[in-house]
Formats: sequence, structure tokens, C-alpha cells
Amino acid sequence: MNAIGLQTLIKREMVRTFSIINQVIWPPVITTVLYVFVFGLALGSRIKQIGGVPYATFLIPGLIMLQVIDGTYGESSSSVFQGRFMQSIQELLVAPLSALEIVTGYVVAGVLRALFIAALITVLGIVLVHTAPIDWGLYLLVIVLVAVLFSALGIIFGLMAEKFDHIAMLTTFAITPLVFVGGVFTSIAFLPPFFQRVSLFNPMFHMIDAFRFSYTGHGDVPLPLSLGVVAALAAGSLGGALAMTARGYNLRT
Amino acid sequence: MSAPAIRIAGLVKRYGGFTAVDGISFDVDDGSFFGLLGPNGAGKTTTINAIVGLSSITAGSIALFGHDVVADWRAARVTVGLAPQEYNFDRYLNIRDILIYQAGYYGLRGPAVRKRADELLERFDLTSKAKQVYLRLSGGMKRRLTLARALIHQPRLLILDEPTAGVDVELRLELWAFLRELNAAGTTIVLTTHYLEEAQELCDRLGIIEKGKLVALESTRVLIGDRSLQDVFLELTRR
Repeated sequence: MNAIGLQTLIKREMVRTFSIINQVIWPPVITTVLYVFVFGLALGSRIKQIGGVPYATFLIPGLIMLQVIDGTYGESSSSVFQGRFMQSIQELLVAPLSALEIVTGYVVAGVLRALFIAALITVLGIVLVHTAPIDWGLYLLVIVLVAVLFSALGIIFGLMAEKFDHIAMLTTFAITPLVFVGGVFTSIAFLPPFFQRVSLFNPMFHMIDAFRFSYTGHGDVPLPLSLGVVAALAAGSLGGALAMTARGYNLRT
Repeated sequence: MSAPAIRIAGLVKRYGGFTAVDGISFDVDDGSFFGLLGPNGAGKTTTINAIVGLSSITAGSIALFGHDVVADWRAARVTVGLAPQEYNFDRYLNIRDILIYQAGYYGLRGPAVRKRADELLERFDLTSKAKQVYLRLSGGMKRRLTLARALIHQPRLLILDEPTAGVDVELRLELWAFLRELNAAGTTIVLTTHYLEEAQELCDRLGIIEKGKLVALESTRVLIGDRSLQDVFLELTRR
């Protein structure tokens, strides 16, 4: 085990994150403030409660998930792809670092980044709409699982992409639409019965529902189901990233 | 007797139906200065990539100081430093950190690493640029940084892929002097170059690859004889 190598990679990823802070950290924070003002405070004032909680309390966990998913995938995929494109990833490939250590480095950095973004938005929630998690253990667990899932997915797409446009495809055609219909702004209970059933096949719905549980104490589906879906997807994504890196897919000729 | 720095046995590398390296075998002795020559597309870089782990091996084996690069890859990689032809530095790190982080990937950190990084920056006249990103360096400075990075973990084997490509005569002579000094201190060096006078000047032994096959493997003096290296090279590689 090359523990120093692993720590160096994590540190390098964090250096990258904070050297492009205007792309990675501030946009999710500013976007969230805008969502809170427009949806939470302006439109939300006309919606009294959803599922027994004020609309703003309902909204904040969805917004945190939205930014954690978007930020984690975007950073992980662009870092891997840029490393391939600039060939700087060869610094890792010639070093005594295993595929497990390389993937762990990117994923741990993704989790730290996600926790940082989530913490900033959580503080915004406390300050702007006076809402905070009631179950911090679940709050951390879901963020970690979701960050693992999307960091690993970022590695997979960062390895497969031949240009930046390919990375954006997943965001544009899958992540963003699925997150928006996955219950960030409204409960699926508001949907017609058919679409409620369809939503159960939307993985983003389970992430948001499990995370919202940490704020409200209840969800649209039982917590073990949503947590199980998220954990299974995280395990699958991590396994895929590990297998591709171990094979040297688009890394070693 | 100690294991050779490199032992390549029956190395084959295929890309689909194309055979880039076709069953080559040779040893590079510990402490020697070896030149791997060949025309473009002959298989030099593929061979180097297989040695350092950037390319998988279709058949055959490679061992560095007795460590198989597949079965005992971690021990093998610690022994080797690569100075690639392309500049592939981390654009988010400054020059000094490029060295320190590279050492970190090799499992090294602490005051000794920082001291070595500063010594290498001094040796390659890069101290004044230590806090800059590599994009601001001149071509010659980038070339020197490539060498410094390859040496940060004090490898026993240094592999140089076209180390003087695109540098002026003055820097080339400076790098030659440095490489001779390094080799004299015990570091095994493997060099690929298109500058035949460079190979003739520096290497004690030469291997010439053509179409993936090793067509010559001899001491520089014996291979050249009373002719020029260019004549020998053209004779062996004329397609």
C-alpha cells in the first residue's frame, strides 16, 4: 500500500479544486442562494407546507443534493479527462500506485469536495431559512454515498470521453433532467400515479429522498429502500471505475 | 553478479493486427549508458512504454534490476525515472511542487524531499522559477524540468525519450555533461534519440530497432568500427 502516494493524489486534487474555485465552489453556492430566493422565499411563500414541513425546509436538502451530484461528477470527470488529454496522468501511471489507490484518491477527493460544498449550502440553509438537518449521521452517510457514486461515474466518463463534449453529455441528457424530476422542488406525491411509479426508477429520486430524510425525518419511500438503491449504485459505479482503471482503459496502450 | 538494469526477453506488443514490437530481447547492464535507436515508428517508444508501465505487454517479459514489471510492478517502478519527450506536467502545480508531488506519488515526503527538490531546481537553474507554473517556462527550461522530475525519487535507471529534442546547442552540451556525470555516479541511462551524434557521443552500447525487431545490439565502438554511425544506421534501417 502506497499511503503517501494516495495522500499526495488526494492533496493534488484538492489543490486543483481550490485553484479553480470560481468554477467549482462558488457557482453552486450562488446558484443555491438564487434558488432559495426565487423558489423558497418568493414562490415558496405561497406553498405553506409539503409533507408537514415548511417548503424552504423541504427545498434545502434537494438543493444540496443537486449541487453535490453536479459538482462531484463534473470535477471528477474533468480532472481525469484533462489528465489524459494533457498526459499529466502519466505521472500517476509510471509511479508505484495501484489502480485501487488511484481510484481511491480521486473518489476521496470527490467526497471531501462534496462535503465542503454541502457544508456551505447547509450554512446558507441555516442562515437564510433557519433549517438544519435533524439526523447528522444520515446527512453524512448520504453525501458520502452520493459523492462516491458520482466521483466514480466521473472517472468512468473521464476515461471514456474523447472530448469535453462527451463529459457534458451525461450532465445534459441524464443528470440534470433526472435530478430536476427527482423531487428537488416538489414531492413526487404531487405527481399523477403513473409518474409516481416511474419516479421510483429514477435513481436521483432515491438520493434526494434519502437525504431529505435527514432534514425532515420522513420520505416518500422507506429509507432502507432509498439508501439501498444509492448504496448499490455507488458500489456498481466504484466497481466499474476500478475495473476500467485496472485494465488501463484509455490510460495504458 | 547483480541483475541487469533491464532484461527484456521475447517482448511482443501488438495493437490489434499491428505488431509494434516483435519478439525483441536484450539486457542493459547496471551502470551502462545504452542508446535505443530506430526510425520513426520502429517500436522505440512502445518498448520504453512497456518498461515503465505505460503500455501492456502482449508476450514476453521485462525485469528491472530483477523485478518483473508485471508480477513485481511496484518494486520495478521505484527503480526507474522517465523523462518523456512530451511535456506532461501538472498545470495546477508550481515548478517546485511538481517535483515534490512526483516524489509523493513514489511514497516519499518530508524535509529530505523538499531539500532534494531545491537541489534539483538549483542544479537545473530553475530556482528563480520555483513558484511559477510550467506553462510560463521556455522550451529549454521545460526540458530541464522533465529531467529534474524524473530524478526526484533518485531512480537507479533513467530513461530519456528524445531528451534534447528542440533545445539549442548550448543546452544540449550542458545536458550531455550532466548525463555523463550522472552515469559516472552509477545511474544506468537509456536514451532514445534521432540525433545520432548524441548516441555516438554518450552511449557505450547501442541497440537499433527496425519494424519492431532488434537489428543490431553491440558496443558503440564495435558497431561503428571505422565508419560513421549514420552509415551504419541507414544500412540497417533502410526500408
